Amino acid sequence: MEAKAGNERQVKVQVNHLTKKFGDLLVLDDISFDVEKGDLLCVVGPTGCGKTTFLNSLTKIYDITSGEILLDSHPVDPKKDHIAYIFQGNSTMPWLTVEQNVSFGLDIKHVPQEKKRELVDKYLEIVGLTKYRKYYPKQLSASMLQRVSIARAFATEPELLLMDEPYGQLDIELRFKLEDELIRLWEMTGTTVIFITHNIEEAVYLGEHIMVLTNKPTTVKQTLQNDLPRPRDIAAPEFVRLREEVTELIKWW
Amino acid sequence: MKKKTFNIAELICAVISLAVFFGIWHLGTRGELGKLMPGPLPVIEKFLQTLFGGKIGSSTLIVHVAYSLARVMIGYFIGAAVGIVLGLSMGWSPLIEAIFAPLFRIIRPIPPIAWIPISIIWIGLGEDAKIFLIFLASFCYVTQNAWSGAKNVNPEYMNAARMLGAGKSRILFTVVLPASIPPIFAGLQVALSSCWATVLAAEMVRSSEGLGWIIIAGMNNNDMNQIMTGILAIGLVGMMLSTIFRKVEARLCRWNRSEN
Amino acid sequence: MSVEQKRKLIECCNVSKTFQVPGGENQVVKDFNFVCQENEFICLFGPGQCGKTTLINLIAGFEMPTEGTITVNGRQVTEPGPERGVVFQNITLFPWLTTMGNVEYGMKTAKIPKKERRERAQKYIDLVGLQGFEQSFPIQLSGGMKQRVGIARAYSIEPKVLLMDEPFGALDAQTRYLMQEELQRIWQAEKRTVIFVTNNIEEAIYLADRILVLSNCPATIKKEYQIDLPRPRKYTSPEFLSLRKEITSIVDKTL
Repeated sequence: MEAKAGNERQVKVQVNHLTKKFGDLLVLDDISFDVEKGDLLCVVGPTGCGKTTFLNSLTKIYDITSGEILLDSHPVDPKKDHIAYIFQGNSTMPWLTVEQNVSFGLDIKHVPQEKKRELVDKYLEIVGLTKYRKYYPKQLSASMLQRVSIARAFATEPELLLMDEPYGQLDIELRFKLEDELIRLWEMTGTTVIFITHNIEEAVYLGEHIMVLTNKPTTVKQTLQNDLPRPRDIAAPEFVRLREEVTELIKWW
Repeated sequence: MKKKTFNIAELICAVISLAVFFGIWHLGTRGELGKLMPGPLPVIEKFLQTLFGGKIGSSTLIVHVAYSLARVMIGYFIGAAVGIVLGLSMGWSPLIEAIFAPLFRIIRPIPPIAWIPISIIWIGLGEDAKIFLIFLASFCYVTQNAWSGAKNVNPEYMNAARMLGAGKSRILFTVVLPASIPPIFAGLQVALSSCWATVLAAEMVRSSEGLGWIIIAGMNNNDMNQIMTGILAIGLVGMMLSTIFRKVEARLCRWNRSEN
Repeated sequence: MSVEQKRKLIECCNVSKTFQVPGGENQVVKDFNFVCQENEFICLFGPGQCGKTTLINLIAGFEMPTEGTITVNGRQVTEPGPERGVVFQNITLFPWLTTMGNVEYGMKTAKIPKKERRERAQKYIDLVGLQGFEQSFPIQLSGGMKQRVGIARAYSIEPKVLLMDEPFGALDAQTRYLMQEELQRIWQAEKRTVIFVTNNIEEAIYLADRILVLSNCPATIKKEYQIDLPRPRKYTSPEFLSLRKEITSIVDKTL
């Protein structure tokens, strides 16, 4: 907190009065929030609360009904802005090798050959897949595939990284491993991350901030600051307290 | 609520696209081209006039339609029934599959109309032969889909039935059959259009009634109006058949849809 | 020992399973020995694809062991049977049957008269909390609801043993907690012997009387934990968290 307060806080993403209707059905109801540069914001909410609609609206996959989404004070445009996504399922291209997958986003952005090789090498190394660079996705396990997706997203050196429940289907130890890896990458690169999850423990483990959404029509119920020191301990009393606090905020069952 | 407004938008689009189509047809055939191709108005007039009243050849249009439809229906249903039984059995029993699969693999790629000359030589392409050709068209598609449908039933459904105590024959009727209905219906749909095409081809080659005959007789008499009337009737009947088909399918495969 | 006093319901004796694969053999289960008493809730917990599903398939009788024997209720397992109800990982409801149809299927097969069948099906549909959805087809139900039907279907044949193969694996984290609480409620209302496979340690500690931690392929029992925490358990209690840490630390790592 102290260190941060000293720096000038820069707002990276600004969402103002975001509203989304499908026909007459109101799904997102007047959502406003800011994300600071370099923040790691975890978004949690009850099952079926419109988290995916929320994400798809942020990325302009859906047209929003009203409101605005600003990135560095201009309206967000996925074609121009460097935004990367990591989805829940496996989204690697089965016909490309690991390294081709990682360079996929760089090809689209016409990064020069030299630079591209450098980036691919760097991020394959970071996620520990250098040995597997010539493999095809079919030959890899689920957690390795998720690492390919992470390397692919970070290789484009995005200004904003959106993650939609990326570790939902993984074993717990793998999840912990990949969560730590994400923290490491995030600390290294200073990327702004918005991380959507169903898993409250994961949100408390990862987030600098935790934004709790309500049931449909979705609004922001509360945003909590999370100052627990890293690496965090899931059994520490403060951790458990925060986890229970968030659970109480969303509990629908 | 939402669904209804969507349907109105759809209806408007349909009306516009049909209006544009007939408009272009009408305008395009006003000048010199009109000698080669009648406009929509004379065709519709002829269509309505011959539907129940005036005759084309020996009968009214509706009777011709009935001839073609009757041939299609008989061949189609026999082919479908045989195809479903054979296909499911092949998917179910490796022995039946081993016996019939090689034979079927040879017959299936032959388009039904390729048999027309042989039929003429053997049995003169009478009613029996026409129905036989339609039978083949229907049989091939339906067998293929029932076979692969039954073969590709998710084995987990079989395990679920087994743990609930079901034996072999009970699994056939309560798992393999219902699980194969969607692919069978896909086959039935393709088979229906194939049968419809086959009956027209057969009627064009040899017959004295039916929609295929109307077209070919129109060509022989250089009567463009008659040809276009026949084509219009073919289109309308085909459309009605597939509409009925979709309704039946929607009923039988209710479980396969997320709406309603 | 108290194990001997209670009734033994399932006994696995030196069970091994080897699959023939192109270019050799793949041993998935090795020297698996365990005894399960009546109405005990056992969780098989282990990493990745460590052969847990194969164990369930062996006890269910979908597959035969390469070596060793499995005995359920005093009889050797040679084929699937209605004294062993299975709840599958991918749910596998019959999509062409309604909730009622799915729950009645096993009883129809057993030729139970219609009236009794209906009553019993309704009882289990009520038990899993699906009243009002009797006539819905699976495609109209959410993931959690489908798995409730799966549980009712397995219960409806009144089996001695319930075999559950990662039944909540495909659900989101919150629905998963909800279903764990529900299963615990259902199980306490209608006690059965349960063998429950999972790769989620919280789920295992929340539900189990006993956890068998399996090694990675081939699966053998690495360690056993008797869980004596009072039910319903609390995910964030210190005992729960320390058990969780301990068990997580001994699990084989997979990449």
